[in-house]
This record gives sequence, C-alpha cells and structure tokens, in this order.
Amino acid sequence: MSSLLAKRKSASGPGHWGQTTHLLGTIAPGILWIVFFLVLPSFYLMSIAFMSNGPYGLPELPLTLQSFRELAGFGFLGWSPGNLYTLARSVWQTLIATVLVILIAYPLAYYISTQPASRRPLMLLIVVVPSWTNQVIRAFGWMNIMSPDAPLSDLAASAGLISSEMGLFPSNFAVVLGLVYNFLPFMVLPLYASFERLDGEIVQAAHDLYARPINVFRHSILPQTLPGLMAGTVLVSIPAFGMYVIPELLGGGKSMMVGNLVASQFAEASNWPLGAAAALIMILATLGGLMVLRRLGQRLGGGKEVVL
Amino acid sequence: MRPIIKPMATSLLAALALGGFTSAQAQEDKLFIFNWSQYMDPEIIEAFEEKHDVEVVENYYNSLPEMFSKLRAGGKSQYDIIVPSNYFVPRLIETGLVQELDHSKLPNLDNLYPRFLDPSFDPGNKYTAAYQWGTTGLIYNKEELGEVDSWDVMFDEERNPENPFSLISDGQVSMGIACAYLGHGYRCQDTEQWKEAAKLIINTKGRNNFNGFADGTPQLQQIAQGNIDAGMSYNGDYLFYADEDPEAYENVEFTIPKEGAEMWVDSMMITSEAPNPDLAHKFINFILDAEVGAQLSNWTWYSSPNEAAKPMLDEILLEAPATPTDEQMERVHFTPSLKGQQLQTFQQLWTDVQSR
Amino acid sequence: MKRANFRRGLRAWWYIVLFFLYAPLAIVVLFSFNSTRTYSTFQGFSLEWYFKLFANETIVSAIYNSLTLAIVSSILATVLGAVLGYGMFRYRHLKLGWLIWFIYLPLVMPDIVYGISQMTFFVQIHEATGLLKPGLLTMIIAHISFQIPFVALLVYSRLLQLDPLLFEATQDLYATPWQRAWYFIIPTLQAALISAFFLSFTLSIDDFVISFFTAGPESTTLPIFIWSAIKKGITPEINAISTLMIGAVFTAAAISYAIQRARLASNPSRK
Repeated sequence: MSSLLAKRKSASGPGHWGQTTHLLGTIAPGILWIVFFLVLPSFYLMSIAFMSNGPYGLPELPLTLQSFRELAGFGFLGWSPGNLYTLARSVWQTLIATVLVILIAYPLAYYISTQPASRRPLMLLIVVVPSWTNQVIRAFGWMNIMSPDAPLSDLAASAGLISSEMGLFPSNFAVVLGLVYNFLPFMVLPLYASFERLDGEIVQAAHDLYARPINVFRHSILPQTLPGLMAGTVLVSIPAFGMYVIPELLGGGKSMMVGNLVASQFAEASNWPLGAAAALIMILATLGGLMVLRRLGQRLGGGKEVVL
Repeated sequence: MRPIIKPMATSLLAALALGGFTSAQAQEDKLFIFNWSQYMDPEIIEAFEEKHDVEVVENYYNSLPEMFSKLRAGGKSQYDIIVPSNYFVPRLIETGLVQELDHSKLPNLDNLYPRFLDPSFDPGNKYTAAYQWGTTGLIYNKEELGEVDSWDVMFDEERNPENPFSLISDGQVSMGIACAYLGHGYRCQDTEQWKEAAKLIINTKGRNNFNGFADGTPQLQQIAQGNIDAGMSYNGDYLFYADEDPEAYENVEFTIPKEGAEMWVDSMMITSEAPNPDLAHKFINFILDAEVGAQLSNWTWYSSPNEAAKPMLDEILLEAPATPTDEQMERVHFTPSLKGQQLQTFQQLWTDVQSR
Repeated sequence: MKRANFRRGLRAWWYIVLFFLYAPLAIVVLFSFNSTRTYSTFQGFSLEWYFKLFANETIVSAIYNSLTLAIVSSILATVLGAVLGYGMFRYRHLKLGWLIWFIYLPLVMPDIVYGISQMTFFVQIHEATGLLKPGLLTMIIAHISFQIPFVALLVYSRLLQLDPLLFEATQDLYATPWQRAWYFIIPTLQAALISAFFLSFTLSIDDFVISFFTAGPESTTLPIFIWSAIKKGITPEINAISTLMIGAVFTAAAISYAIQRARLASNPSRK
C-alpha cells in the first residue's frame, strides 16, 4: 500500500531535484538542530562512561569497563544489589503510573471531545494549566495534603494502611501519585487530538455491527485513537522513567529511581564515569521499552502505521 | 533557495538576534556571587553596590555537590565568589577551581578569631576567608519525646518505636552521626566502621516511623507541622524559625547529642577564572569588616567568625545554641574531607544506602 | 437510559479529575495568604508575601526570564518541529526509519545527562570561539532541542490520521509547496500546532534540570530559583508567585475563551 502510494507520488509530484530540496528543507533543519545541539554533546558525554574515575570523580584515561562492573553491583566492597533495586523500582513505578494515567485520561479526553467545539479549548486549558505552575510547588502542595493529620492521611490511617503518626509521604505511593499528577496532561492532549478526529460514522457502523460496547471499543474506537494513545504513552512513560525531581521531593530518599542514581553520580557521589554508564544503560533500557511499545502498537493497530 | 528553507533561516536569525541582545549587556562592574540561599542580608549587598558603584548578581545553590558540578562544568569562569563548607574546600583547591587570595587586598582578615585564621582545611588561609559558622544538631519535640540527649531517638527502635523522624540528606553528616552513635566518633573514616554505620542506616530506613532524608531547613518546617518529632538541622535556622513563630516552636528544642555532632565553617573563595577578581577581593574585605560582619550574623542568626564584630552582635548569638558552650565544643567536629579511593568507597556505600 | 448513565459517569469523572488537578494548587494559593511563614496552620489572611515578592528583584527577573525562555523557545520549536514532522510524513516511504531515532534520542535522554552534556558542550564552544556564553541563549537552544521531538511527533501522528488521497488532491490543486502549506497543511494542522505549542510551553516553563545546567549567572528562571530556595524551605513568597501565575494563566484563558465566543457568535457558519 505505502509503496504503491510512493510510486504514484513520485510520478505526479515535483521533479526529482525539487523533491530533494523539499526533503532537505523539511527534514534537515530539525534534524541538524538535534544532531548539533544534542547528539554531538551526548556522544562526548557517553564516551566518559568508558573512562576511569579520577580522585574527585573527574573522568581520566585509560579506557576501562570498570564503571559498568560497578553499576552491576561489583564495587570494592563485594557485590550489592542496590542498583538493581533502583532499576526494578523505576520500571515498576513507571509502569503503574502510566497505566493509571491512561485509565484517568481516556474517559477524560473522550468527554472533552464530546463537548461543544467552543468549550473544548477551555476544557483543555483547564487540564493543562496546573502543569504551568512549577512542579516543585505542586509537589509541595501534595506534601501538605499527604502530611499526617491531613484528611487524606487520616483516611488512609483509618483504613489501616498507615500508622496514624505517619503521613502518606514520603513513600513510593507518594511518588507514583506525583508522577500521575505530573504527566496526566501529556496523555490527555494527544488522546484528545485523536478523539477529535474520530470518525463518528465508523463508530456508528461498529455500533450496528457489534452488540456489545466492548467490541465497539475494540474494533472501532481503540484503533482510531491508537496514534494518540501511543504518543501519550511515550510522552508519559519516558520522562516518568527518568524523573528526578518527584522521587527526590516526595520519596524522601526512600524511593530512589534511575534518574536520581544518575544525578547523584554527577553531583553528590562525584563519579562521572559511573553516572555516564548509568545514563547509557538507562537510554538503552528506554529504547528497549520504546521498541516494545512500537510492536504493541503495530499489533493492536492491525498492521496500520502508528506514530511509533 | 526554495521558500520552504525560509523557516530555518528566520529562526536562526531570531536566535542570533536574541544572542546579540543578551550578550550586549555589560560585564564590567558586576560581581557574581554563588551562595546558599537566604544567607546574605540584602542591605549589605545594597551598601556594597553603593560604595563601589557596581552591580552584584546573586545566584544560589541547594547543595555543595550541586555547586561543585556547576563550577566544574564551566562555572569557574562565570562566578566570582563561592561560599563552600569546610569539607569541600580541599576538593575545590585540588581540582583547580579556585584561586589564591591576595592577602594584601584583605586587611580586614585580621578581624577573624585566631582559630579561623589557620584552619585545618586551608592552612594559612591561602584560599579561604571565613563567612559564618555553625553546628548541625538534633532537633526534637520535647512534648512527644521528653528530654533527648542522644542520637538513640533515631537509631534505637526501643527508645523511639513510633515517633516519626528524619535524617539529613547530606550523606557524610548522616553517616557521621551513625558512626558517632556506634561509638566510632563523628569523624570515623575506617571502611569497616562505615559499613557498620551504613547497615545501621539501612535498618533505620526500614522502620515504619522513618520519614525519609531531608535537608536541614525543611526539617524545621516539618517538625513545626508535626510531620516529624525528631530531625537534624542547623542552629542558626532553628533560632530564626523559633523567633519567627514562637508558638509553633514552643516545644521544639535544639541540642548537641552526647555522642557528638557536626560543626562547620562556610568560607568565601574566589573561583580560578573569576571575571572580576579585584572586585571579589573588595567584597570579601567588605564582609570581613567588623560592622558588616555583625550585621550579617544578626541577619542570618549564625555565629560570626569575626572577633571584631562581637560587641555589635545580638545577645542571643553569644549563647548556646548559636555559640556552643565550651563543653559542647568538645563534642562537635568538622566533617572529614575525603578524596580518591576513600571518597569512592564512601560514595559507593552511600549510594547503596539510598537505593535500599 | 444506559447512555444517559454513561454520560453522567463521564461528567462526574471530569469533576473528580478537576479536583485531583487543583487540590494541590488550592493549598498553594491558600498558604500564599497565610500571615506566618510556617505551614503548620492557616493563621490569618495577609498580603504580606505579595509585597515582599515585588520588592525582590531576583524573583521579578526570574519571572521575566522564565517567560522569555518559554515563549521564544516554544515558538521556534513549534516551527522547526512542525516542518520536521511534515517532512517525516511526506517522505516516510523513503526508508527514513533510522531518522526517527534522532527524534527519540532527546526523549530517552535523562534530563541530568542532557543538561550536563549540553553545558560542557556550550562551555567548550564558548572557550574556543567566544560564542554561546551560558545564559538565556544557551537555555533557549537547549529547550528547543528537547521540544522539537514532541512537536514533530504530534504533527506526524496527526498527519497519519488524514486520508492520504486528500494529500494528492491538494498536490494537484496548489502549485507550490508554500501555497500547499498555507492553504491546506497549516489549517488542517491548526489543532495539532496549538497543542504542540502548549506542550512545548509547558515543558519549558516546568523544566528545572536542563535549565539549571545551561543557565548563566544572569538567567535564573523561576524553577531554578525555587529549587535553590527549598534548601531553606519554601517561603510563602513562592506560593505567592505561583498564585499569580495561576491567576495570569486563568485570565489569559478567560480572554481567549471570550474572543472565541465572540467570533463564533458573529460568524455562525464556521462550525
């Protein structure tokens, strides 16, 4: 299908030379910007992962794989699973937060798209506005809500989830809640964009075809909103996985994630090679996750091309 | 050129125009200070600006490692003055991020107490001039915990089975008090002793009433809110908050536990490629002035290293906890300055503590 | 009947989520009017912190820096990203799959690595050429490079939803790509472009880590200021700024809503 389209396009489009200029004109500015201001600097930094650690954490020659060994837990003090805990915790918390965000955002985006056109921009704005305030401030608001003797903590305490002396934060729960809160708009926006384009006739046809709403959803609504859902999942899960500020503030050192591990190697722990190695592993893990998402998207979309 | 290339050209032009706009601002007659936040009386800055007809730009950092990495990544040519704590001084010197002070430009250096004139972390004051000093002690709610004179409210489950408490996020300080509690002294540097302390903190983290690691000042807010009943904080901030809201801090006490605690000195230093080293010397000398020194301490609520300023200090700064008693002074120690293998060992242990 | 329940459920969900989104902000606003510094209790109404706020030069210039950074970078990133997204779509048959990894790179990069690598890079360029001194310009460059992928992906995903035949029709209709862009692509993408701008703006104004590492001494933004202030505990002044920001954004929202309504009323044939 797509190759057929391509043939037709090149036949009817501008000449070969014009097309090349057009191609470069559209793709080159953005890509060059990213290559020059992002790829080059990061290659430099990544090379640090293979260097030795100097007396104060500055990278030095010779080249070595020591940092990766250390990352796997083989320090001078024998093997320790600390870093693996951190990695597992990051994956788990990202997963939970992303699923929660999808569950919250899906009905919300649909609801907004069913409203009169004049009201939708305002509703979107209402969803986005909280994230225009600083995330440190928002986290601080949550700290207050989750402190001991606040209604939410009292509720949790009376349900026997926590002791009455303690607040809900700092904890893993607080971190997940912070992640959900922080990234909700990033799911609502692309999902809404998909819902807005939703073809009502196809949905209606599906209604006529299938009796059960669940089937209407599976065969009509989900495939049509999949690009938005996938874009949203990427926008939420990837930054969530590398989150630094929220675990730092709401986790109180009890809920370290990979982002904090990397950050602490560049700052507190002063071990740039180890930090760079951790960053490299983190990027690889994220790329792996992306590939899984892409596969998933293709399968759910029935071979249709999605954003990933 | 095809029209589609235009967006690229326009955006680049816009970026360049902006660049011209920002870099057109003059750099002379400006002094850049990189300091802890709320650690400088704005009136002192105004007075200095007026006296020398210059502009002072203040920037703030949240932790010493943050300041250190910012300097390493190019900040050494952007800031003139930094105000690190004692145990980061050797690190800054040995990595070449700071320059020697010109004592001939600092006549007021003699105003300092003799013990700040030849500190162990910088013999002969070649690089540093003391700014403020203080202690990191134990804060607690006496209504909830009774009298407290030991770190056991944090580390002994039987002493404190359910009152929430926090430890300080500065790894070396938290490990130091754990070492002190175990009887190895605050300045312990032996790997086996560190391991023991790390184990103690990991166990502590597992307890239900452990409320996480936090910085000293937020802990003061949390203790007033009732989030925690014991924590670690700085003497000056404790006094400041207690004065601000006496009711909320009625039951909050600051103490130096019997096992020992941290004493620190924050010092002014000049970065190695400071844009304006001459003005930086003038500023340091200005702060070392007796009157300005007193004004500074009266504003920050921390003790002054400036002997000449003593007569002008507020009464409260001359007694405990602002100035520890002689008996307390024997229990407070500088945090050791680590380097090389030892620093790496410590960092590995601390990263492990944090990841559990 | 069932449908009505479904609708009611959706509406209830909307209000529940609104409560979730605004509860922390309400707390922030409330405490900006507190008469004492501590957060223990609300001890009386006071405007003290607002007066202090406007007397504080650092905060005022931080607000200015934040807004300049967010607006300039979002506009540039929306242009660059939209063109890129369009190019990716138009030439997706050319086996440019590997290009997409350049787009994902900024997305998968941990903020801290991103910030540190850009700073070391900018500093090296500055030392070699005297250009790109750390400051507002370097921050704008850094922000654009993490905003571009988000914009490109949004635009690309919107274009994928269009009927491909529609595209061919326009190719016959309009002679130059420029005309095609003006009369067809931009109007079609309007919603996606607006949400891309909003997203970029949100990312920029909220960013702390990357800004922190690429900032110079004179380009402190609000997040950088706030972060360094929490060392000493957040003062109600910071709540006051946030309250003002929330207020400003709501005012802007109300105005744009009013304009839109007015336009719809005067021109009912559009939609």
